[in-house]
Amino acid sequence: MNGEQPNRPFVARAAVWYRRMQVMTVKEFLQLFRDTVVLGFMVYVFTMDVYLAGSGVSLELKNATTVVHDADQSASSRELMYRFRPPYFKLDGEIAHLEQGVRLLDQGEEMLALYIPPHFQEDLRNGKPTAVQLQVDSTNSVLGLLAAGYGARIVGQFGLEAALLRLGVAGDGQENLPIIQDDHRAWFNPNQNDAWFMSISELLTDITLFAIFLPGAAMVREKERGTVEQLLVSPLSPFQIMFPKILAMTAVILVGTALSLFAVLEGVFHVPLQGSLTLFFAVTTLYVFTTAGLGMFIATLARNMAQVGMLTVLIFLPMIFLSGAWTPPEAMTYWMRGLMYISPLHYFLDASFGILLKGAGLKNLWDSILAIVLIGSINFGLGMWRFRRQFQ
Amino acid sequence: MGHTTLVEPSPPVIRVAGFHKSYGKIQAVRGIDLEINRGEIYGLIGPDGAGKSSLMKALAGVLTFDTGVVEVLGQKIDSERSAEQIKGRLGLMPQGLGLNLYPELSIQENIDFFARLRLVPEKELAQRKQRLLEMTRLDRFRDRPMKQLSGGMKQKLGLICSLIHEPELVILDEPTTGVDPVSRRDFWGILAELLREQGMTALVSTAYLDEADRFHRVSLLHEGEVLAKGRPDEIRALVPGTLVSFHAEPQLAALSRMKARYPQVLARGPEITVFVEQADRPAALHEVENALKGLRVERADAVAPELEDVFIALLRRLGTGGGEKAGAAKDPDFNQAARPAKDVLAIEADQLVRDFGAFRAVDRVSFRVPQGEIFGLLGANGAGKTTVIKMLTGIIRPSTGAGRVAGADMLQAGQAIKERIGYMSQAFSLYQDLTVLENIRLYAGIYGLSKTETRARTGWIIEMAGLAGFESTLSASLPMGIRQRLALGCALVHRPQVLFLDEPTSGVDPVGRRRLWETIFRLSREEGVTILVTTHYMSEAEHCDHLALMFAGRVVADASPSEMKQQVEIEAGRLLELETGQPLQALQALLQNGFPGAAVYGKTIHLLSRNPEADAAQIHAILTAAGIGLDSAVPRPLSMEDVFVYRVMALEQLQRQEDGKVTL
Repeated sequence: MNGEQPNRPFVARAAVWYRRMQVMTVKEFLQLFRDTVVLGFMVYVFTMDVYLAGSGVSLELKNATTVVHDADQSASSRELMYRFRPPYFKLDGEIAHLEQGVRLLDQGEEMLALYIPPHFQEDLRNGKPTAVQLQVDSTNSVLGLLAAGYGARIVGQFGLEAALLRLGVAGDGQENLPIIQDDHRAWFNPNQNDAWFMSISELLTDITLFAIFLPGAAMVREKERGTVEQLLVSPLSPFQIMFPKILAMTAVILVGTALSLFAVLEGVFHVPLQGSLTLFFAVTTLYVFTTAGLGMFIATLARNMAQVGMLTVLIFLPMIFLSGAWTPPEAMTYWMRGLMYISPLHYFLDASFGILLKGAGLKNLWDSILAIVLIGSINFGLGMWRFRRQFQ
Repeated sequence: MGHTTLVEPSPPVIRVAGFHKSYGKIQAVRGIDLEINRGEIYGLIGPDGAGKSSLMKALAGVLTFDTGVVEVLGQKIDSERSAEQIKGRLGLMPQGLGLNLYPELSIQENIDFFARLRLVPEKELAQRKQRLLEMTRLDRFRDRPMKQLSGGMKQKLGLICSLIHEPELVILDEPTTGVDPVSRRDFWGILAELLREQGMTALVSTAYLDEADRFHRVSLLHEGEVLAKGRPDEIRALVPGTLVSFHAEPQLAALSRMKARYPQVLARGPEITVFVEQADRPAALHEVENALKGLRVERADAVAPELEDVFIALLRRLGTGGGEKAGAAKDPDFNQAARPAKDVLAIEADQLVRDFGAFRAVDRVSFRVPQGEIFGLLGANGAGKTTVIKMLTGIIRPSTGAGRVAGADMLQAGQAIKERIGYMSQAFSLYQDLTVLENIRLYAGIYGLSKTETRARTGWIIEMAGLAGFESTLSASLPMGIRQRLALGCALVHRPQVLFLDEPTSGVDPVGRRRLWETIFRLSREEGVTILVTTHYMSEAEHCDHLALMFAGRVVADASPSEMKQQVEIEAGRLLELETGQPLQALQALLQNGFPGAAVYGKTIHLLSRNPEADAAQIHAILTAAGIGLDSAVPRPLSMEDVFVYRVMALEQLQRQEDGKVTL
C-alpha cells in the first residue's frame, strides 16, 4: 500500500537507506544524552580517573620510611644514616634492637631497616672490611627493588669515599682516579615524569573500556526492554541496526577523548602533545570503531546489563594486561608475548605514545596502524557475524 | 486480659480505613476502606496502577504508607515492630511468575527452604508437603528445578511456599496474571479447597474482571480509589442493565446508530454488543431492535451483563473516561466500496514447522486469513503462538513449510514482507527514553517515509491515539493505555497491509482495552487492514472474526467464535450453572456420581450437559441425598473461556493417555 516497489530506482533506494541510517543514529544520540548515569560515568572517567591515575599512581620511590639500628653511635654511622633522606627516603628515627626493626617491617609501618654494626667507624679507619645490613619490605617488588638499589648506591658511595679518605686522596685528588662518570639523558619524557606515562596509558585504557562497553550496553538495553523485536520486524538489516550504534558511540568516545586530552593531559599535566593530533584522532577513531565489534559480540552472548558488565571485564582485563601498558613485551614469557601481538590495545598504545610523546608520524607508525586495522577488522567482522547469526 | 473472653461476632481479620500512599508526587492510593472477615476470600480487582500492590504490601508490613489505619489480625500496623509481630501469621505471594522462588532449586528444595525459614518442625513439614504436593498434582515433579516449570506450575509452587507454615491470612498479589485459562481455573480450584480446609482468610488481587465470581466479596479499584465493593452480584446490581448482542448488515451503519444512542457499544468480530440500562431483557431487546429499523438484523439476543460492563458504567457515572469517544473521533463515511474483496488472502500458512533442536515448537500449522479480517490465535503458554508469529513476521525461518504474507513469499521475499506489515508486541516495545514525537519520527524514518508523508502520518497517529498534548512527553511517563495506543500508532505509521498484535492488551485497564479494540475494528473494517492477534483474555477472543486454537504446536480448532461454541455444545452439551450454599461439598458429590466434568466457579458449579433438564433433575437428587441444598440450576451461554478450557483439557487428557501408552 505504501508503494514499496521491489524495482525502485537505485537513487530512491539509496535515499531510503540513508534516511534509515540517519534516524537510527539520531535515536542513539538522543538515548545516550538522556542516560544521565552513563554520561556522568563517562565524564568522571575521562577527567577524574585520568587525573587520579596521572597524579596518584607513581612507580617512583618516594619517602620510603626507614628506621636505623645504630650499634656504633659514631660520626661515621651518623653520616651514613643521614644520607638516607628525601625525596627517596624518610628517616623515622633509631630503634634499640634489630628485632624491633623486623617487627616494624612485619607490621608494614616501616619499609626499610638499616643495621649498622658496632665498631663500624673503627673498622673503616683501620681498613678492616665491615658490613651494614639493609632489610627491605619488598611486598611491592618494584619499590622494594628501587629501595634496595638506591640503598646500595648510597652505601657504595659512602664506602668509596671512606676508602679514598684512607688513601689520602680526599677532595680534589679524586679527579685523577679512574672512575667512570655515569650520566644519562632521558628522551621523550626528559624529567621522567610518571604522570605523563600514567595519564596517557589510563586514557587509552578508558577509551578501550568504553569502546567495548557502550555499544554492548546499547544493544543489550534493546534486548532487555524488548525494543529489538520491533526493529527485527522492520525492514532494517542487522547492519542498519548495529552500525548507527557504533557510529554514535564512537563519536561520543572521541568527544570524551578530546576532553581528557586537552583538559587533563595538556591542562593539568602539561604533556607536550608532540605529534599530529589529526593523526591521533584518526587512529583513535579507527581503534574505537573496530573494537566496538567486541562490544557487539558481547551483546550477542549477554542477556542483561549485568552480564555485559561482566563480559566486558573478562575481555578488558587481559587486554590491558597484554597491552604493554604495565610490562613491555620483551619482559614477558614468549607465549604471552605471542598473545600480546593479538591485543589491539598493544598497537594502539604504541601508536598513541608514538604520536603524543615522540611526535612520530605515519612513516614510523604504519605497522602499528596496519595491525589495528587487521585485528580490528577481525573483531568487527566477528561481532557482525554473531549479530546477524543470532537472528537466523 | 485472660478473662475477657466475651464471644464477639469475630473481629475482622483485616481492617483498613482512609489508606493513602504516594510515591513522590504520584498518589498511588487515595483513600481505601475495607474490612475482611475470617474465612473470606476477598478480591481486589483493578487494572495495573490501580493501587492493589501498594495496599497488599502495606498489609503484609513490607511497605510504609502515608495516612490511614491498617489493622491485621487485630494488630495495628504502624511501625516496623508492630508489623514484625504478625509476620509469622501471614503468608505473602508477591506479583510476578515465581518471583519469590529460587529458579535453580527444585520444587522440594524450594518448599523445604521456606518451611525452615518459618521454623516448621521437620515432621509436620513432611506431612504438609506431601499433602500440598498431592493436591496441586506437583508431586511427580518434586525434583524438577523451578525454572523448568510452566507458569501455572510456578504459581502453584508459590502458593505452597506461602502456605507451608499454615498462616491465618494469605495475601496473593495477582497470582493468575500471565497464566493461561486452564491453569488459572486449576489454581482457583486448589486455592478454594486449601482455604476451606485450613480455615484461612485470603486477600487476592487480579486484573481480570471475569475472575470476580471466584471471590466472596470484592473491591473494584480504579486509580487508587474504590469504585465499588461488596458481593459480585451486589456490584452487578449497582447498574441494572442488559447486554444485547446482534449481527447486522451493514455493520458499520448499525454501529454508528448504536453509538449515537448508547454510551457502551462494542463491535466484536461480526457481532455488535450494546449495554442497555434496562434490567428487563425483552424490553431492552425491543428497544435496540427499534433503533435498528431498516437494517438487516440477525441473531439478536439479550443476556445478563458482564462485570466489565458494570465497571465501565460505574466509571462513566463518575465521569472518569468511561464514555470517552473512541478512536478517530470523526464518524466514518460508510464507503462500502473501500472495503477490499474478502477473497484476497492476506496470510497463508502452509504446513509450517519449526524445530528448536529436538523440540518441535510448531508442528504443521496451516491457516488462511482473508484480507480485512481480524484473526485470533489462541493457546496456552508454550503452545507455539509466538513462534508462529515470529515466522510470519520474518524474525525466524521455518524449518519446513511455506507461506505468503501480504502477497509476498515468506521464504524468498522476507524484506518485502517486513515493509508491508506492522507489529506490536505485548511488552511496550517503543523507546521509553524518547518522546512521543521522537518515537513516531524514528519509525517513520525506519519505514522510509518522506518528510511530507511523515508529517501527515504523525498527525493521523496523534489524533487516532488521542495523544494531543503529549507530543513532547517521554513515553515512559505515559499511562499504560495511552502507551499501547502509541505503540499501535507506530506499528501503523507506514500503512501496513497486515498488522500483528501479540497480546496487545495485557496490563491495560478495561476502558483502554475497549478503546484499543475499537481502533482495531475500525482498521479492519474501514481500511481493510488484516489483523492477526493473540490474547490471554478469553473474553477478547470474541472480538475476532475467526479463531485458531493452538495446542502443543498444532492448530487443533479453526473456526469463528460462535462456531467454536456451537461445536462444543454439540459435542459436550450446554453449560449448566448450579448455585448452592456448599459448592465444594456439592462438587465432591457430583464428581463421585457421574459428573466428572464439574468444576467450582466461585460460589457456583459449572458443568457441561447434553440434556440440561434431565441432568438438573438428577443433580437435584444427588445433592439432596448428600444433604446439600441446590438453590438453582440454569443453563448459561458458553463463554470463549469455557470453550478454551474444554478443548485444552480434552487434548491434555488425550496426550496423557498417549504418553501412558508410550511408557507402557
